[in-house]
Amino acid sequence: MSGRHVDLDPDTVERDLAQLVLTVVELLRQLMERQALRRVETGDLTEEQEERIGLTLMLLEERMDELLEKFGLRPEDLNIDLGPLGPLLPRDG
Amino acid sequence: MTEVRYVYAVTRPFDGAATPLREDVRGVAGAPARLLAHDGLVAVLSDVPAEDFSDVALRERLEDLDWLAATARGHDAVVSALTAAATPLPLRLVTVCRDDGGVRRMLDSGRDQFTRALERLDGRVEWGVKVYAEGAEGTQERQGAAGARPGKAAVRAAGGGSAQGRRPATGRDYLKQRMRRRDATEGVWAQADAVSRTLHSELSRYAEAEQVHRPQDPRLPGAARGNVLNAAYLVPREKGEAFAEEVRRLTPPGTGIRVELTGPWAPYSFAVTTAVPAAEEGGSE
Repeated sequence: MSGRHVDLDPDTVERDLAQLVLTVVELLRQLMERQALRRVETGDLTEEQEERIGLTLMLLEERMDELLEKFGLRPEDLNIDLGPLGPLLPRDG
Repeated sequence: MTEVRYVYAVTRPFDGAATPLREDVRGVAGAPARLLAHDGLVAVLSDVPAEDFSDVALRERLEDLDWLAATARGHDAVVSALTAAATPLPLRLVTVCRDDGGVRRMLDSGRDQFTRALERLDGRVEWGVKVYAEGAEGTQERQGAAGARPGKAAVRAAGGGSAQGRRPATGRDYLKQRMRRRDATEGVWAQADAVSRTLHSELSRYAEAEQVHRPQDPRLPGAARGNVLNAAYLVPREKGEAFAEEVRRLTPPGTGIRVELTGPWAPYSFAVTTAVPAAEEGGSE
């Protein structure tokens, strides 16, 4: 890669990639969670299903926290500004 | 050292010698402000170093946030001082003329606009009203990706979270916790929305014009989170007390909703229609 003049810091590249991937994962996780809450409310899940879904979402969230910590990211880093469409994930505020 | 004219505002001549521009009012670049009367209009300006306000220098400086902030403060210091005695029509930030002759030409070429705007603004001041949804748990706990995560003090510094995040014992408890949080958040937002609508429609009765700005971006320095309404009202000076009283009356007590009233300001939000033909005078080299 000696012909390139782009300053690619290996650490930053990894972090940026992680940020992008985790943003997408977080979007899916939130969608699933919202869907799950709706289904619990309408009561079309058995208790056993609720327990399984809840546990899965909880573990996903914990795993997400660990990954954020590993890559030195803050929760608010997981977002993409879509310009006129606003942020990809809801921003509190 | 050559100097150019930085013009803050246009007003009508003051009554008598009651100039509100005391010695200690410092404008842009720390310069004192002076008045330049011309044919029924008064320009309020400072003499500033030409090399700092040339086209070339400005192109760089307008991207320098610190410089912009300092300039905006100087600009506002003069305009605010004027507001005490007159109704200033604030000009766009960094309106620069080469010399006094240039200022007079600007007053002449913009005369109709200035006169109309001054008539519209005469005796009016601007009040700002902001509504914040503060108690929303979503503004502290994670609502989506932003906010704090339970038990992660390290990553939560920016989120200002509470200690609410005990790990739920079961998957169903987790879902219940999320549901409560979501409901609380939605409740506060819905209430903030309702308060904003009521405020806006009631306050508009006191105002001759309203301007609803975009809610503040919480990422901006100094901006609070959860801004729902960000509006400006052009209110006759003598109705200011009643206006402020109305804001107090409509502020819900002790909930997660905060209403912020600021003013009286110079009518910045209502002077924008008066684009100034400043470009022709630009900066001097």
